[in-house]
Amino acid sequence: MAAAIETKGLTKDYRSPLKEPGLWGGVKSLFDRKYKDTRAVDGVSFSIEEGELVGFLGANGAGKTTTLKMLSGLLTPTSGAATALGHVPWKREPAFQRSISLVMGQRSQLWWEIPAYETFRLNQAIYGLSDADFKKHLDELVDLLELGEHLSVPVKKLSLGQRMRCELAAALLHRPRLLLLDEPTIGLDVVMQKNVREFIKAYNKRSGATIMLTSHNMTDVVALCRRVIVIEKGRLLYDGALDRLVERYADHKILRARFTTDVEPGDLKGLGVVVKYEERCVTLEVPRAKIAASAAALLRSYPVADLNVEEVAIDDIVRRLFTHA
Amino acid sequence: MKKYRVAYQIALQETLQRRSTLIMDRLGGFAVVVSLYSFWTALIGDKATFLGYTRAEMLTYVLALNILRSFVFTGRGWQLVGEISSGRISSYLIRPLSYHGYALALDLAQKTIHVAASFFEVSLLAVCVRGELFLPRDPATWLLFSVAVLLSSLLFFFLEFMVSSLAFWTSESGGPLFCFELFLQFAAGAFFPLDVLPLGLRRALEATPFPYMVYFPVRIFLEKVPPFEAMGMLGMEALWLMAVFTAAMMIWRRGVRSYAAEGG
Repeated sequence: MAAAIETKGLTKDYRSPLKEPGLWGGVKSLFDRKYKDTRAVDGVSFSIEEGELVGFLGANGAGKTTTLKMLSGLLTPTSGAATALGHVPWKREPAFQRSISLVMGQRSQLWWEIPAYETFRLNQAIYGLSDADFKKHLDELVDLLELGEHLSVPVKKLSLGQRMRCELAAALLHRPRLLLLDEPTIGLDVVMQKNVREFIKAYNKRSGATIMLTSHNMTDVVALCRRVIVIEKGRLLYDGALDRLVERYADHKILRARFTTDVEPGDLKGLGVVVKYEERCVTLEVPRAKIAASAAALLRSYPVADLNVEEVAIDDIVRRLFTHA
Repeated sequence: MKKYRVAYQIALQETLQRRSTLIMDRLGGFAVVVSLYSFWTALIGDKATFLGYTRAEMLTYVLALNILRSFVFTGRGWQLVGEISSGRISSYLIRPLSYHGYALALDLAQKTIHVAASFFEVSLLAVCVRGELFLPRDPATWLLFSVAVLLSSLLFFFLEFMVSSLAFWTSESGGPLFCFELFLQFAAGAFFPLDVLPLGLRRALEATPFPYMVYFPVRIFLEKVPPFEAMGMLGMEALWLMAVFTAAMMIWRRGVRSYAAEGG
């Protein structure tokens, strides 16, 4: 299969003005501005095949969004090369622009005062969709994203989840062959996160589009991506199967419990590593294999009011990966 | 072209949706006209002419201002500043769309509604002043005036676009844009005819593109300029428009390049 995305030594430096503190510093910077170069992406090379759904991970400021912006053609790299669907993205050729979409969870392309349907109509015209294709694609999206009655309500009156779904529909109306998703589930409630995840998976399967997705939410990544690319401080740290990443670097889960009476934290050591104990709440790191047993032991032997099992935060895994690297 | 037509239709809908903003806008403009009207009426008093304008001409100037404000002074500068500083501009840059064409379509929608409203207001005022207005008889005047106004509105659009593009480099471009618009209205003759100014200052302003936005078109309408001279004015205005358009596009391209280099 052909590569949908190919990058070689992709590098991006940002230049930001430095300002000395205080009013005098402000005045000085008017006349003698000094700049600081920050390397956001540092020699990143990878290749993604058509139809793949790849998770793109990294802590805040690791360079994920910058990479996505370069791949969508918004940013030009400082050095290195990339092709996406056979085009150099930052040349912004219309043929390329018609085949991609970039969704940033915190940014909206919808018109605020009027129903989302109008934005869809505008996108139909922008991407040159025939009426028949428009109707067909829209019906499918309305069905998959359960948009029905929300289409005729002014966007400002929609809930965040409803808006995010409309946002996705607007981005997918032209059936992009390459979809870049930056934090698509940010700010959504758990049920909505799940719906959006299922939708992304279905879209990938149905259309065979290549999808690259960044998320802070490990559940998103686990549910969707077999392959992940991890970057830290702009450098590529890991590129491979998610199974191996989680096994290798997140060999435990987090068990949180709240008790009705005081408990001696020292007694809990046998169940896992006590990370924190305060106000009758304990946080334990428990090896994956022991999680059921530890949870059962806690419930059996202690006055538990509430109990939660969570995946390790993706930032933690990445940090671990970073310290191992 | 279809994309810009749809953008126009949607922008029409949106402007009508924001009724209270529209009404406030119109009330503000109306108040300006009424105060200018009262001011000039008081100044003219019983005199036959004032600064070379008859009473009817001066009142026509003031009422024409209302229409020109609605047609000429409605760019998308503030939108551009907002979209650049919020990063929303990104969503246009990655779509197969010319931002200028899109902004022009939106602007045209805004003009449609505001001009319609201003015709209504002006008719109302015309009734109040009992038809004491100057209306040209020569159809050529109407034609020249229409061309002038069309060019003026494009001139304003691209001038404002140029200044708003500063937002690509500084987060504080709202200030310059505000000052620029205020100065522009003064220099265009949107507060008073430039004849009020000392000759030296007037000549200096006439060498800039600003008077082409209000002062010259209204003078054409009032037939203060012979048709041949008016043609010359239109030619000059077209040259200004080309120059401003070229500069605006150049700055825009540089801005987008810098945006792409610095990050959105």
